[in-house]
Amino acid sequence: MIEALIKSFVAAARSLGFNFSFLASAYERGMWLDGIRTTLELAAVTIPASLAAGLVLVLALRSPWYWLAGPSRAFIELTRSTPTLVQLDCAFLALNMLVSAALGGAEHNPLTPFFWCVLVIALHIGAFHAEALRAGVEAVPEPTREAARALGFGRAQVLWRIELPIAFRVALPALVNNLVNLIKLTAIGSAIAVGDITYASIMIWTQHDNVVELMLFILLLFGALNFIVSRAGRWLEARVRIPGHGV
Amino acid sequence: MAFEEAGALPRPRRLPTGRLAVVAGVVLAASAAWVAGLEMPALLSLMLQWLPHLAMGFALNVAISLGAVGLGTAAGTALALMELSSWVALRLPAEGFVTVFRNAPILVVLFATTYVFPFEISLGPWHIAFPDWAKAMIGLALPAASQVAELLRGAIQSIPSAQWDAAASLAFTRSQSFRWIILPQCAKRALPPWMNLYSTIAMATTLASLVGVHDLLEAATEATTAVQRMDFTVAVYLAVLGWFFVYCYPIARFVRWLERRLDRR
Repeated sequence: MIEALIKSFVAAARSLGFNFSFLASAYERGMWLDGIRTTLELAAVTIPASLAAGLVLVLALRSPWYWLAGPSRAFIELTRSTPTLVQLDCAFLALNMLVSAALGGAEHNPLTPFFWCVLVIALHIGAFHAEALRAGVEAVPEPTREAARALGFGRAQVLWRIELPIAFRVALPALVNNLVNLIKLTAIGSAIAVGDITYASIMIWTQHDNVVELMLFILLLFGALNFIVSRAGRWLEARVRIPGHGV
Repeated sequence: MAFEEAGALPRPRRLPTGRLAVVAGVVLAASAAWVAGLEMPALLSLMLQWLPHLAMGFALNVAISLGAVGLGTAAGTALALMELSSWVALRLPAEGFVTVFRNAPILVVLFATTYVFPFEISLGPWHIAFPDWAKAMIGLALPAASQVAELLRGAIQSIPSAQWDAAASLAFTRSQSFRWIILPQCAKRALPPWMNLYSTIAMATTLASLVGVHDLLEAATEATTAVQRMDFTVAVYLAVLGWFFVYCYPIARFVRWLERRLDRR
């Protein structure tokens, strides 16, 4: 049934001039579907990881301890001013090699390309999240902070219960923008053979010479993912809005 | 007790960012040296030996980024004007272009331009080679154009409409007011995001290594494959990271300074 449907789709696409013949081969179809699944997994894992990284970084940035605030600021500056692909190579080709050597060979190394891809992208986008949140914290009006102090909130409580909730609302558009960039960034996983949709498509189009067809699909997939994320962001913005607060 | 403290909340000290940048550089260099361990002299001479090769690669990164942003700015300005046009036939294609290239991962666009364009162009009797770096440049110019269109459109719309009216009352035509009154004001507002875009595109040029361009990252990979030494591999990749940092960080600092200065006006 499904095979027949695929056959008729391939034939229909061919009559329009598109070459989707790879769908007829179970192996290549499987690889392609795996690629779609891997891209979705990458996005699903990296989004919360990046938000966690951003939160940790902004907490470190706002901490009164210089030895915590200094390194996190340095990390943010470094990661924002260097190419993500180079960071990925530093992590996967250099750091992973050292880990393998320390564990006595690559076969003992449990860290996968998928792991490194998530780590690098989450930290990279996390730095941008932290900057957005920091700007949000700095936008909290001084009287609000003073009022909280007057009510007996401690420093950490002011940060956690007053500043960050307001900062989150202020930073939300920027955070969503970062998440859209995150989704687009997952394509660089193909450089270290994570097996995402871009990687699977490269494998298929080198066999079938159907770059345009697969490219259109990739663009549609990323367009749809970005659309979902930005819609979800707008929904959340409306949801968490504090009436009368102006943000 | 809390009453006494309520006045001024201790705020974290402003971080000396410049000093931190130096510290970051030293940490990078120190980690490279640490990895090198006792074989430092051998490693250093190897690095020096490969330095010209790496520098050639980086020159290509710079050339591609300048070309891509140049092309992207020209195309993006046209797109911004089209987006603001009252003609649907001009507005819709421009909006479509911007939407597509803002949503597409740059890497995917690079693959598209690499595979879709021919390797040479035939103009009658002449065959002009179409090298990979030129394709990569176009591939980066497309997303750059969509970004320029967005930031310029925002800048144009942020100019109060009274400026247009004032220009009209001084007998400027519409195109004259745009060129002499509106655009100079836009340029000032659009400069910081435009420079950020340049830095983004400069960093994105490393993606060209994945489509066969011999840029800095590709040169680094070649060097590590040729030498096959663990300490050298780590040192080279850290050097590439540091290289881009030294190139892009001053731009980021300058943009921040510019933004502060424009804010004060």
